[in-house]
Amino acid sequence: MLRSGALRLCAPGVLRGPRRSAAPPTRESRPPPRSFASEVIRVDLSLPNPSWSKDMRLLFDQFMKKTEDGSWKRLPSYKYVSPQRTEVKTFFPDGKPVKEDHMPQAQLFPRSLEEGLGFEYAMFHNHVENRTVCIFQGGPYLQGASGFLHGGAIATMMDSTLGVCALTAGGVAMTANLNINFRRPIPLCSVVVINSQLDKVEGRKLFVSCNVQSVDGKTLHSKATSKKMPLCLFSLV
Amino acid sequence: MPKHICSSPSAGWGLGPAKGPKHLWVLCRTSPALHLQRQTAAESRVTERDRGLYCIGRTKVHPESAPLLCCFLKSPPAVLPAQPQSSAMLKRGFQVAGRLSQHRVLPGVPRVLPRLNLTSAFGSSTDSLVSRFCLEKTGLKDYAVPNASWCPDMLSLYHELQEKTKTDGWVKLPSFKSNRDHIQGLKLPFGLSVASGERDWRIFTRCVQGEGQGYEYVIFFHPSKKKSICLFQPGPYLEGAPGFAHGGSLAAMMDETFSKTAYLAGEGLFTVSLNIRFKNLIPVGSLAVLNVDVEKIEDQKLYMSCIAQSRDQQTVYAKCSGVFFQLPLEKESPQ
Repeated sequence: MLRSGALRLCAPGVLRGPRRSAAPPTRESRPPPRSFASEVIRVDLSLPNPSWSKDMRLLFDQFMKKTEDGSWKRLPSYKYVSPQRTEVKTFFPDGKPVKEDHMPQAQLFPRSLEEGLGFEYAMFHNHVENRTVCIFQGGPYLQGASGFLHGGAIATMMDSTLGVCALTAGGVAMTANLNINFRRPIPLCSVVVINSQLDKVEGRKLFVSCNVQSVDGKTLHSKATSKKMPLCLFSLV
Repeated sequence: MPKHICSSPSAGWGLGPAKGPKHLWVLCRTSPALHLQRQTAAESRVTERDRGLYCIGRTKVHPESAPLLCCFLKSPPAVLPAQPQSSAMLKRGFQVAGRLSQHRVLPGVPRVLPRLNLTSAFGSSTDSLVSRFCLEKTGLKDYAVPNASWCPDMLSLYHELQEKTKTDGWVKLPSFKSNRDHIQGLKLPFGLSVASGERDWRIFTRCVQGEGQGYEYVIFFHPSKKKSICLFQPGPYLEGAPGFAHGGSLAAMMDETFSKTAYLAGEGLFTVSLNIRFKNLIPVGSLAVLNVDVEKIEDQKLYMSCIAQSRDQQTVYAKCSGVFFQLPLEKESPQ
């Protein structure tokens, strides 16, 4: 029972952050993910749209070229989270999530704003080097200090990217600790590249880190380190 | 007489007498010429140059306070124009207070120079910042007021704190759709300003417009204790794990509360660092109470701590410490 519960928990529907349509490479023996026939039509939002700036498209094309040889892979990203709450209760018995009828429109946070207004991003994963890159364009609704991106917005993106990095290494993980050093403010509506990698694994803990750079690589905007705790206790079995 | 001129090949600074005239001479480099700009006691200027090096000048108001000038030049001193007038101004005007070694600029890495800001001597006091921030009759929509989506916990705690604004010195902060609305008449220092096109810009924590869908929050600030309390209710658009708020949304709420507290407590503007320890997930639609304290103000930085917990304090959601960088805003020039 526990094992099957763990496998359900590791299904894509319980993920935080962008999800993948295929099972993670570390668990080939698992059954294929459940179909989501009950959900609305899922639109992959990690693809260019009219709100993407020139810089963003250029970067996207560069990374898509890299996917041709198979070492890089583009990760799809969807708006709606599959309603699989019972499994989370196994690990958060004290949590009392609000009933489903009160939240008919639950949406994954970085995908909850209209096209071009909030988070526009695409993630790419390199399983050879074990790192994840996210290209991110912050829209006009993510303002902090006048004319610059909100610190919390870039923190959300870093958390998402680090979460995906940890996911590919150790399964679904919850953030235990997030430590960000901001170096330089990011102008609103500009494009940045978030490079993350797995630093080490200590027992059940995953240590991941990332940095945020401008498109030309010359400006370091911020750096972060994070400790992630996998939710799936049996991921290494 | 200047004590020392730079030794680094890519950056340098000039020092002057510890006690000097009331006016400060700021050395700025624009390519290709070198300018000297005189500053009045009330003004300061931040200027960004091509390699991201900044020149900041401050004036001293009281002779006994510690003045500071950090002046960074891109080129070695040999390139300085040999003008008797400018060197005389340098000798007479520059005043430096310690810690310059910490401000050494690394080649190729743009950094904003910190500077001393003794709140008592420089800048605005907390009370004047609060009164400017909480202007009434602005005609702008204040989002930090109860609406139908607020849960009962949030409503009752809101009313409790509203009572305290009359008796205990607490202030409820208004929340407009853009930070620009909070700082009418002020702007970022020259060099940090970004191109306009801001009509449709919104502050991140007011990005979701539907009532109860995204961030529902209100911040109460206590000017003399330099504390804040933020009542935060995440909506379904802030979801991460199913049924629970995204960790990033709490990080953003903490950053926003820090930001308002830092601004009012000491003109803090930009986040330097955030260190968040997550303990528990916040269920969507429930109340989280964020208590923020200003621990200290040192080296032009504000150090704050925050703890996010349930109303009964039985569940701790996260603990966070944040550092903000002080940077007073300039007045907009009349047009």
